[in-house]
Amino acid sequence: MRRSNIAALVALAVLAVLAVFSQADALQSVRATKYVTITILVTPSPAPMGFLPNRTRHPAPLPATDVAFAGLLDDPYSGPRQIASASQSAWDVAPGGGAMIAQVQPTPVPVQFVAKADPNAQYLQVTLNTSQLNAPYGTSVYTCAFQIYTFYGLASYALNDYGYGTTNSGTGTFPIENYPTTSYLSWSVPDFSSTYTAYWNSGSPGEKVWTGTENQAQTHCVNLSLVVPNVLAPGTYTATIQYNLLVN
Amino acid sequence: MTRALTVLTAAAMLLPVPAFAAGTTSYGAAQLNYKVLPSVHAQVVPNYASSFGPQGGLGSGSTPAAGSGAVLDGGTVDFGNVVVGYQYLYKYAAQVSVQTNDNAGFVVYAEGATNLNGSNPVPTPSTFPIFQTLYWLVSNTGNTPFTPAQSFLLTAGNPIAGGAGGIDYSGVGGKPSAGSVVWSYPTSGNVSEGFDYQLRLPGMLPTSQFNVYVVYTVIGN
Repeated sequence: MRRSNIAALVALAVLAVLAVFSQADALQSVRATKYVTITILVTPSPAPMGFLPNRTRHPAPLPATDVAFAGLLDDPYSGPRQIASASQSAWDVAPGGGAMIAQVQPTPVPVQFVAKADPNAQYLQVTLNTSQLNAPYGTSVYTCAFQIYTFYGLASYALNDYGYGTTNSGTGTFPIENYPTTSYLSWSVPDFSSTYTAYWNSGSPGEKVWTGTENQAQTHCVNLSLVVPNVLAPGTYTATIQYNLLVN
Repeated sequence: MTRALTVLTAAAMLLPVPAFAAGTTSYGAAQLNYKVLPSVHAQVVPNYASSFGPQGGLGSGSTPAAGSGAVLDGGTVDFGNVVVGYQYLYKYAAQVSVQTNDNAGFVVYAEGATNLNGSNPVPTPSTFPIFQTLYWLVSNTGNTPFTPAQSFLLTAGNPIAGGAGGIDYSGVGGKPSAGSVVWSYPTSGNVSEGFDYQLRLPGMLPTSQFNVYVVYTVIGN
């Protein structure tokens, strides 16, 4: 009995050591990171349609005072000129001869930056083909929304992605949301598959996009599919996806 | 089109007038009408709070710092050195203050006077689109380089002195495009709004120093 317990403990220890080595072998370090930020402009839903009886409706006539007031709104200087003095001079002359626009331009704001080369460009590049998605309600597909280039010369590598800022127990916003809510934004790499996958939204390590062998340079398009639910308010939203190049 | 603010005031005036006939005094009443014209005054202050400056560049391997052109309550919105392909947020870039007596309020527009002008070294081509490179958003302590923002548009007007003197809209209907509204206020008052800027640098941006003027235009409703 005691011998069997010792044997079991030894076997367990051996398994644990093997597991540690196995895990170490699988470990990859992040060589480069890029963030793809896409603006999503959700346009208003079409007005609901219905059929109504074809009745000719006449608006109720406005009271005389409202009519006069509406006329003044259209042209504040209409109506007969009134004379205030014996010299026959008009009193209600519009200054400047017409309606004035109050407009001012303060001193402009100078903006400056010095763009430096990207030290990671040799490993990972993202080229946005459209940084704004105009999204009606329902499902829309955006072909080759962006391209990704990957390369590593010292070992094999993998490209992973996940929604920036997502965690395995957090909350998110449209469109990527946060686990357990499924992302409304999906991706596919048509060079590999036409199947769309909802973006991973439970943080690191994310999901595998593709892999590469040592010295393999590759560029692929990423297609996007976006679902805009009917309950979403029109407006501007942002999707930020984090791409990591993992190397051995 | 701005409507003149009209104030109608009735004033009864009882004025003695010269007697037309000896021993009699005449009195009359006059209605005095006058218009108070709308006035709009505005100021823009760059780097309007002490913690102004750039942040972000996550993944680029470098931490941004404001350039020498940035000074508190003035100067340039100077992102300093930034890395192509990364995103940045410039906190407290500009504050717009407006004073108006227009009861209908006002609208503030902001446009790029030009595209981004490259220099040192001069890239080919020498400019890069401001659209979808430089963005604005209302200042908020929770803003990040990835917070939803609106892109500045290139003006359709005529930049004066490259934008340093503003933009002449006389050839394009007298005002900026509707898509460049950054702030609407519904009534009169003395109010301010702060804005952060974002840079989203695409990978094809050439390495160079870039400059642009953002021109704010305030128009009464």
